[in-house]
Amino acid sequence: MNPKIKPVGLARPRKELVELLRGTVLFSGLSPALIEKVADIAVLERAQKDAVLYRVDDPARDLYVVVAGQVNHAHGPATQARVLTKTMQPGDVFGWAALIKAPARRFATVTMLADTELLRISGAELMQALASDPEAARDVLARCAKMIVEDFTVPAWLAQVQDVPAGKGGSPMVQRQAAAGEIGAWEMFAYRLSKWAKSPTPYLMLVGFVLFFGAWYLLSEVFKVWRFASLPGPKTVLLEWFNPNPTYGMSLYTPDYYVHIWSSIRRVLYAFLISTGLGVPFGLFLGWSKNFREFTFPVFETLRPIPVLAWVPLAIVMFKGQESPVIFLTTLASFYATALNTMLGVQSIDESYPRAAACLGASKWQIFRHIVIPGALPFIFTGLQISVGVAWFSLVAGEMVSGEYGLGYLILASYVNVQYVVIIIGMVSVGVVGYVSSALVRLAGDYMMQWRVRELALGGGR
Amino acid sequence: MSAVLSQASQGNAHGGKGAIRIEHVDKVYEAKSGPVQAVSDCSLDIRAGEICMIVGPSGCGKTTLLNAIAGFHDITGGAIYLDGQMLCGPDRPKADPGPDRVVVFQNGALFPWKTNLENVAFGPVVQGKLSKAQAAEKARGLMADAGLAGVEHNYPGEVSSGMRRRVEIVRALMNDPKVLLLDEPFRALDQLTKSVMHEALLEIYYKNKVTIFFITHDLEEAIFLGHRVAIMTTRPCRPKKILEVDIPHPRDYAVLTSPRFRELMEETVSAVHEEAVKAFEAGEKEM
Repeated sequence: MNPKIKPVGLARPRKELVELLRGTVLFSGLSPALIEKVADIAVLERAQKDAVLYRVDDPARDLYVVVAGQVNHAHGPATQARVLTKTMQPGDVFGWAALIKAPARRFATVTMLADTELLRISGAELMQALASDPEAARDVLARCAKMIVEDFTVPAWLAQVQDVPAGKGGSPMVQRQAAAGEIGAWEMFAYRLSKWAKSPTPYLMLVGFVLFFGAWYLLSEVFKVWRFASLPGPKTVLLEWFNPNPTYGMSLYTPDYYVHIWSSIRRVLYAFLISTGLGVPFGLFLGWSKNFREFTFPVFETLRPIPVLAWVPLAIVMFKGQESPVIFLTTLASFYATALNTMLGVQSIDESYPRAAACLGASKWQIFRHIVIPGALPFIFTGLQISVGVAWFSLVAGEMVSGEYGLGYLILASYVNVQYVVIIIGMVSVGVVGYVSSALVRLAGDYMMQWRVRELALGGGR
Repeated sequence: MSAVLSQASQGNAHGGKGAIRIEHVDKVYEAKSGPVQAVSDCSLDIRAGEICMIVGPSGCGKTTLLNAIAGFHDITGGAIYLDGQMLCGPDRPKADPGPDRVVVFQNGALFPWKTNLENVAFGPVVQGKLSKAQAAEKARGLMADAGLAGVEHNYPGEVSSGMRRRVEIVRALMNDPKVLLLDEPFRALDQLTKSVMHEALLEIYYKNKVTIFFITHDLEEAIFLGHRVAIMTTRPCRPKKILEVDIPHPRDYAVLTSPRFRELMEETVSAVHEEAVKAFEAGEKEM
């Protein structure tokens, strides 16, 4: 028992407490008789300023109503709450974790901002007291669920309130069950998806695509505007793409199509892994060591502007076989993008971070590991996103010259065979696969930089 | 939990550790336009366990002095001692940065990619003094004492600027430093938060009695907090006037309206103003 928190019995008239309970979000719908019942099980306690009532992960048994004073309610990181700290005033209810499904653990740390009086109500006793009237219990639980989501900004799937106590006709009030502690990746995804669907983003995206394809369709197929007339329209392309017996032998139904896509993906994957594995450490050293930078950077900067296509003949001479020259060409441009951004990332780190670390006793290597690498991460991931995009367009260039499979090869071969529809199928495929790959890189970046995601979320940036 | 704090501070409270002696220090920068004399023949004795406020116009060279003590750059003449041991001097122009002299930076230098708790625990962990778990335990105690319970697992970017400053000061105290070097730490805060931070700093100081070297250009802040206030000349930097603030500690905000406080302000405000005008006319860029 915390010595800073003491029960104070009948320090306040019961009538005042009943009035207070009636005024709370949770109990305002209850009949006078039930409010009396709740008041019966409530215990008035007095807590000193700065006393900690409970911490994140403590077992959650009781619910609290602030009677007088002020309380700081700070969510732990697991809640995903949008608003992290909240000041509770008289009449406010907190400690809702006592009413959620087991295992009930605290989601927040609660500290007294002043000498405070609280009404403590045991969650189990409350449910018992309400068992006689399932209708009222359902009302209280529904209000609690609403309060968790709206006042505490916690996602609804995370804190599911209990079922109505087993009285007569008590039906489960919450359909989906979720353990309070563990957050499934799937649930997280579903939550984000539903959030996304409610925002204007997907509809704006749709409008963009409709405008683009509409313009293309009108120009090429309806009005046949000069020059666009020879371009296959979107209708023609779609019909061919979804045709089980394609005129030119290439559609979603032909296995060859997937062989092309897979060869390209594999090459980009290898190239991306190689360029990241070499580019990130190279960039880190470029940024970190002045000497290293001074003797390598000029060479690097001389090689960088040379276009990938210029390397093609040499690549074929230097590397054996079909695959390695293409992978080499694809790696090249990605490597530059990754290395350059990583270097800029290291240089962007505020000078006071390594200084602070040195002050705190960190060695040179520890500064590199704890300051330089994480500090450069935002730039590194910008670099990786550019790098994966660059990989796709140098891949197509490489495949046009060498190789017998791949989307680039497909596009060139179709040009030679005058199959313009297939060219567009190949182009759109590169676009879609490229979009997905850079989205994956972005996702990985968000995963590794939680601190940044949360900072941006608080800044109100979208 | 306050046991952790007082235990941590014992060395500082009695032993008289943390005396800094600055002797005839010179610092000349090689700028593009030629050498710049930032500090010239600067001597200052800072007693162990005192709050010494350094006041001067922006760009006068006071941060240069702090950087020399912290070991961020070298000096070109003179010497600096900590408890009689030479930090830097003729044979060794640059001191080694270390956890006995921890800096709290002007714009804050909490690592944004570590949680507040990881930030506070950082020092002892990298020094290999405590295990991660032990450091977290100690950090949690110190944070609770400083009114920071509940934000341990938040990132610095998620809490208010006043809280960030407090976390940074607690991060410094985790190392039981002899000296805290504060470089205008509350400069970016609004007036109200600043006043809260002043009292918080004094509270921390009364528990720890660590020597505090505090740079500011705010005279009111200087007199309110300091045992002594050193008013520096504009570049090159050296003490122009040293004021003993004879208002007894512990102090609270009522001091600001006391007649003695007003007297001290009046005594010094002209000296500070004079230097500010000189700095303005010289058009020196802040370094």
